[in-house]
Amino acid sequence: MKPVYILSSSAISPQHSFEPENFLHPVKSTDDGKLFVVDPDYRQFINPVAIRRMSRLIKMGIAAGMNALKLAGLEKPDAIITGTGLGSMTDMEHFLKDMINMNEEALNPTFFIQSTYNSVNGWIAVQSKCTSYNQTYVNRGFSLELSLLDAQLLLNEATEREVALVGCFDELTDEYFIVKNKIGYWKKQLPQSRHLLKESNTVGTIAGEGTSFFTLSNKAENSVCILHGVKMIQSPTSAEISANISTFLQQHHVALQDIDLIITGMNGDTNFQPLYQAALEHTQPHTTIAAFKHLSGEYPTASGFALWLSAQLFSTQTIPEEIIYKRGATTDIRKILIINHYILNTASLMLLSN
Amino acid sequence: MEDLKLKLKQQIIESLNLQGMEPKDIDDNAALFGEGLGLDSIDSLELMVLLERNYGIKIEDAREGRKVLSSVQSMAEYIQLHQKA
Amino acid sequence: MADRIVVTSLGILSALGLGKEAHLHALTRGHAGLQHPQFLKTFHAPDCLIGEVRMSDEELAISLNLPGGNNGYTRTTLLALFAMRELLQGVDESLLKDDSFAFINANTVGGMCSVENMYFDFISNTPEGDFLKYIDTLDCAESTQNVAKYFGLKPMMATISTACSSSANALILGARMIQQGVVERAICGGCDAMSRFTVNGFLSLKNVAKNPCKPFDQNRMGLNLGEGAGYLMLERETDAKKRGAEILAYFTGYANTNDAYHPTAPSPDGAGAYRTMFQALEKANLQPETIGYINAHGTATINNDAAEGKAIENLFGTQAPYFSSTKPFTGHTLAAAGSIEAIFSIWAMQEGKVFPNLNFENQMEELQIKPAAQLISNVAVNHVLSNSFGFGGNNVSLVFSKV
Repeated sequence: MKPVYILSSSAISPQHSFEPENFLHPVKSTDDGKLFVVDPDYRQFINPVAIRRMSRLIKMGIAAGMNALKLAGLEKPDAIITGTGLGSMTDMEHFLKDMINMNEEALNPTFFIQSTYNSVNGWIAVQSKCTSYNQTYVNRGFSLELSLLDAQLLLNEATEREVALVGCFDELTDEYFIVKNKIGYWKKQLPQSRHLLKESNTVGTIAGEGTSFFTLSNKAENSVCILHGVKMIQSPTSAEISANISTFLQQHHVALQDIDLIITGMNGDTNFQPLYQAALEHTQPHTTIAAFKHLSGEYPTASGFALWLSAQLFSTQTIPEEIIYKRGATTDIRKILIINHYILNTASLMLLSN
Repeated sequence: MEDLKLKLKQQIIESLNLQGMEPKDIDDNAALFGEGLGLDSIDSLELMVLLERNYGIKIEDAREGRKVLSSVQSMAEYIQLHQKA
Repeated sequence: MADRIVVTSLGILSALGLGKEAHLHALTRGHAGLQHPQFLKTFHAPDCLIGEVRMSDEELAISLNLPGGNNGYTRTTLLALFAMRELLQGVDESLLKDDSFAFINANTVGGMCSVENMYFDFISNTPEGDFLKYIDTLDCAESTQNVAKYFGLKPMMATISTACSSSANALILGARMIQQGVVERAICGGCDAMSRFTVNGFLSLKNVAKNPCKPFDQNRMGLNLGEGAGYLMLERETDAKKRGAEILAYFTGYANTNDAYHPTAPSPDGAGAYRTMFQALEKANLQPETIGYINAHGTATINNDAAEGKAIENLFGTQAPYFSSTKPFTGHTLAAAGSIEAIFSIWAMQEGKVFPNLNFENQMEELQIKPAAQLISNVAVNHVLSNSFGFGGNNVSLVFSKV
């Protein structure tokens, strides 16, 4: 399959990411293991009649999606494809608890409707009047990756220039934090989030949330960077991740020493650190290695934050100190490899160039 | 009746999250749907939940629902007629 | 010409039973599978009918050689395993050993059927208990992963969730992945188990009928929900022929479009449904008059049937092909509906039969067309159209053609 071109990107994250002027500054850090997003003014992006019933995640998703379109100078995409690991947890929790507490009577339909995984897509379609292809993947750590693959298929099928809006969204709730704490997702001793990676000698990580949207095209004009491909690896061993990196790069005719920046999903959990160590074993002094989950927290579609970050770095050509894990000799950012692992046994690779 | 209508307006504003609106902005006889407040079919379901939770009134028939929910006046009248003692 | 996509194996479980024989028996005799819920413990059991699979979780588990009790398997997964086991009976295992094979599943509420009974344990201070076995089962991919694990498969996996059109979308993705050479074959479909969450969700929308649903009837009062699972194996025609596999149908056309109108209601003039059916026919390179049978979405809600009926009339004219909704048999099986009804559509071609639209009595005022109320036999059905329309305006139409 031919690569696709990223025209624009927009992210709402626990860091300053939505407004371009204060890119990751100042870094936001918490000590309770929870990184919640910095809310922008949603009213600028959402129909005022509709916004009053919307929950947080729905607003986040629509705003980032509409902003990505705006940044690409588009009113209507040719497709809307999204991925979410959890959907609107707030709505699901609300409806479920009401249902139990009220013995299945007098329940609000709004919570039920918004707990449906494709409700963000439906709204973006309404707002952008996009009546064409619309798809939602709910597949844990592969939710965004499958959306990107679908978009790549779609843009390869197209005979003319097309633009797909692709995005991901996941939210953190206090209840979700409690639930997953019972199976050891989070660190027992919670560090300042920005120092997460210095605490990589214990199990567990910190929780996060966010949304990222991208406009992808089959034509290079006005593009920020190229997405060559996405590789998903189910239940990988260390050896399998390394082997997959080799074949993935070979497929795209790229040598490991040509990679300027590797953005890893290291999340400070000793259980998963060996996977990254194996993956990074053969990297060359040229390559800078970065990490991002101390900024975004861990969530099923956190790789969306890394992809958004990549798209920014191709433009700025400077790697912020805050994300550097190991500095390499490189001065330019021409090729980026994203290596991400998610707690539920999935790993993914993405290869980008400018 | 006037007290009921005022309370109803407050409940409508809260339940539908009509930000920036106050009870005095809603006319007793103004149409809640379509041209009036611009509410939609999901709002009408939410208003039925409001009636059920606060007044113990369950509307089963959608057509009857549309009539009852046409204005604050019609809602108040229906409540007075049907509210359980 | 590009290699055609064919269907070579099927697996299905619904309120009508397991597999082809049980389903054809019910579909041709007009035996509906609706009942007051026996296995789902809901307050609304006396006043709702659902298409419930006639086996308890325990019975399903035993039949699958799984331990009983809280075994960590949700009913959603158990239903999926049953349908998948049936599909795999006809498939050489060596075909599914590497990653040139995809499992594309679809689902609406994951393991909510289990989670809803233990959620307060989840969020309590209690650190341990049987509930821990289910703590990762809420999301839609739970059934996908557990099905692959149970059968020892390591395919490329994807899970789609677009409400009531989910598994129809899974079929489209499978076909596209094969066409582009991402994989050689794909097992596509969906599963959904009844949960109180879903029952109450639809009740909150006030579109659930107390009585057996009446699709395309003037006096329709809403839908009946259902549960089940359905899977189809897709591959290239040449690959199927090379290994001597029986070809059950050609998967010739599909379309996914969006209403861009409202979160739950379809565009009232049926413009969205029209566009989807039109594009699916275009993709299949077929004229409307070649379609022998339409398996309609036909939920029996006021809005859906009005929009879908108008769309059928606008596209096919007043001399529309035979059409029926089979939801009075199975209930609306949500994420499984697209694949279950795709299977019914394929059987309609194979058997030369149009399955009846049960409970139809009164012509809809706004339509001139009406559904096939009785079983029609000995008809040549060469091409079928199967519709699935979901919340979020997500519309899908599939076209299958006779071998």
